[in-house]
Amino acid sequence: MIPIQHFLVLSSILFSLGIYGVLARRSAVLILMSIELMLQAVSINFIAFAVYLYPKEFSGLIFAIFVITIAAAEVGLALAIVLRIFRNKATANVDEVDVLKW
Amino acid sequence: MSYEEVIFYFVAALTVLGGLGVVLARNVVHSALFLIVALLAVAAVFILLSAEFLAIVQILIYGGAVTILILFAMMLTRVRDMPGALDGPQRPFAALAAAAFLGLSVLAVVSAEWPGETEKITVIEFSDLGDKLFRNWAAPFEVASLVLLVALIGAIILARGEEGE
Amino acid sequence: MEEAWLIPAIPAGAFAVLLLFGKYLPRRGDWLAIGAIAASFFLFFPVLIDLLEEVDKPGFAGVASGIDWVKFSLPGGPDFNLRLGFFVDELAIVMLAVVTFVTLMVMVYSTGYMKGDPRYGWYFAAMSLFAAAMLTLVLADNFLLLYAAWEGVGFCSYLLIGFWHERRSASEAAKKAFITTRIGDVGLLIGIFLLWREAGTFDISEIFEFAEEGGYSPEYLTTAVLFLFAGAVGKSAQFPLHVWLPDAMEGPTPVSALIHAATMVVAGVYLVARMMPLFLEADPVALNVVTALGLTTVMMSATMGLVATDIKRVIAYSTINSLGLMMVALGSGSVTAAMLYLFAHGFFKALLFLSAGSVIHATERQEVGQLGGLARRMPVTAAVFGLGALSMAGLVPLSGFWAKDEILNVAGDHQNFVVYGFMMLSVFITALYMMRVVILTFLGEPRDREAQEHAHDAEPAMTVPLLLLAALTVVAGFVAFDGVGEALGFPGGFGEFLFTEEPEAFHFPWDVAVLSTVAAVAGLGAAFYFWSGAAEPARRAAETFRPAYETLKRKYFMDDIYQWAIDRVVLVAGAVIAWFDRNVVNDTGVDGAAGLGVFSGFGMKFLETGKLPNYALGIVTGVIVLAIVLMVVRA
Repeated sequence: MIPIQHFLVLSSILFSLGIYGVLARRSAVLILMSIELMLQAVSINFIAFAVYLYPKEFSGLIFAIFVITIAAAEVGLALAIVLRIFRNKATANVDEVDVLKW
Repeated sequence: MSYEEVIFYFVAALTVLGGLGVVLARNVVHSALFLIVALLAVAAVFILLSAEFLAIVQILIYGGAVTILILFAMMLTRVRDMPGALDGPQRPFAALAAAAFLGLSVLAVVSAEWPGETEKITVIEFSDLGDKLFRNWAAPFEVASLVLLVALIGAIILARGEEGE
Repeated sequence: MEEAWLIPAIPAGAFAVLLLFGKYLPRRGDWLAIGAIAASFFLFFPVLIDLLEEVDKPGFAGVASGIDWVKFSLPGGPDFNLRLGFFVDELAIVMLAVVTFVTLMVMVYSTGYMKGDPRYGWYFAAMSLFAAAMLTLVLADNFLLLYAAWEGVGFCSYLLIGFWHERRSASEAAKKAFITTRIGDVGLLIGIFLLWREAGTFDISEIFEFAEEGGYSPEYLTTAVLFLFAGAVGKSAQFPLHVWLPDAMEGPTPVSALIHAATMVVAGVYLVARMMPLFLEADPVALNVVTALGLTTVMMSATMGLVATDIKRVIAYSTINSLGLMMVALGSGSVTAAMLYLFAHGFFKALLFLSAGSVIHATERQEVGQLGGLARRMPVTAAVFGLGALSMAGLVPLSGFWAKDEILNVAGDHQNFVVYGFMMLSVFITALYMMRVVILTFLGEPRDREAQEHAHDAEPAMTVPLLLLAALTVVAGFVAFDGVGEALGFPGGFGEFLFTEEPEAFHFPWDVAVLSTVAAVAGLGAAFYFWSGAAEPARRAAETFRPAYETLKRKYFMDDIYQWAIDRVVLVAGAVIAWFDRNVVNDTGVDGAAGLGVFSGFGMKFLETGKLPNYALGIVTGVIVLAIVLMVVRA
């Protein structure tokens, strides 16, 4: 059997990669992809906890379902916003969208 | 090493490789493709965790819908044509932050005392899952569907454009 | 007597109306001010009658009425009670009589004297305010209200001394008066707080009870009482805080008559008289201090009056003289003598000032060097002035004689013969300088023909108050007699009505009377010798005793000493504190704190780059830091 820590370390690696992506990438779409990575890691975590530690009330499984749902909704909306910005400013580069600057 | 461990390491490596590709690729379309790899690998991880239903859902939704969405957005925002669209000026800090987080997280995992069984997976019956979902979690379920509706409407409005288009 | 609070309230109301609407009223509202004070005067009578009914009953200690305004307990300390309370007893009634009547006379007189002044309306408003404050002071039943009224009269004095503030000397005099009395007022406040701290109350009657039960240690009480006396020293122009009163003559003459003769300056005497139970409980040194300062004041003022050349200044010095006499009487433990003198003095001093005012109004001159021989052209004024002067000198059977004799009497009984001797000497000197000013002003030949051209007795508005006051000057002294008192409805003479511990039936000490009359007549005669005609003997005396003459002329150099102290000590300290305030408190503290805010704000704004990745980095960094902290804490 695989100890739970293996799965948790895996999800940590994925999450860190996601963090790097969010902070380092310039295009909004790329950032969104990194966010998807982070969400994946979170799902793995939830399911691992549910299956290993709390098999009676496996809330983690249910949560993972919701995570997927919400992630889908969020991606749809976020991409719509990106499209909007692109239309207004002709760029999807988050470094150039700094209208709320001091 | 048992069979499961071998399979686990293989799937894990695949996932990590996919993730690395997403954040490090020089070509944005390559990033998207690497994302597909990562998503599918995560589905395999779910199977290893005996959450087959979720694996299927994952493949359907992520591997199907989300990736298409992202590819479309890439096309519409002409990411490929824009220069300097890849890495921003925060790179070193990002690497630092990610490394710090990773270190902390692994430390926490390794040194924590887990309540309960950490070696054995308990398989969860599919029917139990459905039961729980529609009984105890019925309200959040409905709310989730509302969220989807709102997101749908919002996306349409936002992406529709100016009046008369 | 429960409605006694109306007596100060009506002039207060008149002040408010005059302040807001004075300029729209016909004649600027002087009738309103006069009407208000007349109402107070008329209200005095029912209060008096009420009092007379109660006073025979045993254990009568005055009637109080009022409302509590703010009341709370200090944690672990005495209670604090702000109360608008009014208290009527025999002492208060005597003061009420003097204050209301003299104020009324002065206000009527002012309609003539101040006619045509551009700020006529404001004059009557300020006078009404003064009347309200003075009456409140007389009737206050607790120290806080008394102190508030005390400050009020001081403020009105400032307003009225500096009434013609276009004149530099007038505003300087007003400042001097206020600041000098302020020094005394601080002492008064300290005394009040000392008394309150132990007794837990500001109420005067309760404090008396507390003291009688021995609630204060003797040293504590003596100290507190001496601080209270400091207030009296300032307000009643005792040495060394007497320097403001001669300068206060810059104000209009009716103001001098009212405030600096009959009412405000006697507030100090009233205070000591009212506090007599405390003085008697305290160490005898307190009363000795009172006597000592009083006697010094008497001698200094009498000698300075000899060389003053402005009529009003001479009368001012005579006021300081009288105040000193009253303090000596109080120092001898006799409220009766002091208050009898206060009663008589209110009338004849106001008379002196107002008739001097008539002279000034007629001739536009104040210096005796420019007056003289006015008796011919202003006979009525001369007569009443002369009457007032003789009363001041203490000639029988005028009121001044009876009052001064009472004082000499108690001084003889309770003080050593040095005090008594000086008092007799002061009788002589007083007669001397009072007669001097009469001779120089009204008798002899006019020294300035031109000023005399239009001199005549004043209009009825001014002369009638003079005549009324003159009448009282003649008869007021007779209230000392038992028979007179009983006829008027009192339980006896003045001494049976108002007393310290035991009623004092009137008795006539022949030795004192004869001695004082001899001294007075000698003074009058000597005055004629020195100053009649061309005043040759006076000039020769001044030459012979040049140093003494100069010292007197320079007011014993007191003004110079004070000015030096102010320049070298007070202003220097003020400059240091001002530097500290400007540089440390303002520039560094206030401006610095503000500058720091601005600077840091300016610096911080660069955090708002508007770029999402930066914000995201911030969030992640925050999470990592929190995680580290949590791990460390948990470990």
